Amino acid sequence: MKRSIQVFGLCLLLLSISLAIPKWRVKAAPPPVSKVSAIQVLMIQSDEIKLPAEFQISLYENLIQQLEKKGGFQDVYRDGDKNAAGASDLVVLHGTVRGFKKGSEMARQVTTVTGKTSIDVHCQFTDKDGKSLLERDLNGKVMFFGGNLRATLDFAKKAAKLAHDNFVAKLGS
Amino acid sequence: MRWPSWKVSVMFLLLLFSALAGLSFAQQAADSVNVVQVVGLSGVKEHAKGTLTVENGNLQFVHSKAKVAVATTAIQDVVTGNDSQRMIHGFVGTLTMFAPYESGRFLSLFRSKLDTLTIKYHDSDGGLHGAIFMMVMGKAEPLKKLLVAQGAHTSIPVQDSSSGSNPKTDLAKEQKP
Repeated sequence: MKRSIQVFGLCLLLLSISLAIPKWRVKAAPPPVSKVSAIQVLMIQSDEIKLPAEFQISLYENLIQQLEKKGGFQDVYRDGDKNAAGASDLVVLHGTVRGFKKGSEMARQVTTVTGKTSIDVHCQFTDKDGKSLLERDLNGKVMFFGGNLRATLDFAKKAAKLAHDNFVAKLGS
Repeated sequence: MRWPSWKVSVMFLLLLFSALAGLSFAQQAADSVNVVQVVGLSGVKEHAKGTLTVENGNLQFVHSKAKVAVATTAIQDVVTGNDSQRMIHGFVGTLTMFAPYESGRFLSLFRSKLDTLTIKYHDSDGGLHGAIFMMVMGKAEPLKKLLVAQGAHTSIPVQDSSSGSNPKTDLAKEQKP
């Protein structure tokens, strides 16, 4: 009799644990970030780091292209676009270059292991009023094939994915 | 020996025609530059080849399928720079990377120098755009001068060629932070 009570108690304990785990998992998931329909990309700033103009433009243009390509946002506004003021739910992406190393395409092609080009950009997503919603440091690099500007495309893909994962409303959510 | 008058007049006409043709060709060569649009122009594919012309207050990129014009007064900044690329590039260049005995690496040592022209401009809604063009060495600075003369702005003043400075070193110096 005593043994059956022990077994019953153990089963009850296991059952309660198995029921509690999914709830705990749900609690551990990151809090849902507000979903928006429009994004505005501001020109990448590089006050501290000396960044060539072509890299600055390439970062900006590739970022806009990747956001448009990735989809999810109804509108992707450029820096200074007057139409952005009329968007009700808008998130603004500020990018600041924190590190830059211009490698050499020739060194990459000849040696394979040297000549890496790398760009570190601090990305901050804010709402229209400037309140910070998300901040993340992202890196763009080219290690083997392609020109130095390809590092900007690598960064743009990562930034577009970050924006998409955090601010695009999924169907059914 | 005396030449018939009609032969002399034909020769004179030929000389005149060739001189005029040479002049017009030289003008065309000075004004339009063969470039590769790296990124930025709306409606133009990346790495599209075309010609860049500055005329009537417009920067015009003419491509086989598209013709894009940007008003020089809308250009907020023009910056030149330099870069290099493999002599053998494109698809054939990629194929040479798989050549035997690492000869592809050896071919990578042979490179051609390039000029880059980077512009920032505003569209009719005020949106900021940027575009990057690549061209043969020595073509970007004259284009920049033309753009600035027709109303474009620049954060780095145009180098004065009359000061006797070497244009190659000037180009190397001009890398906007």
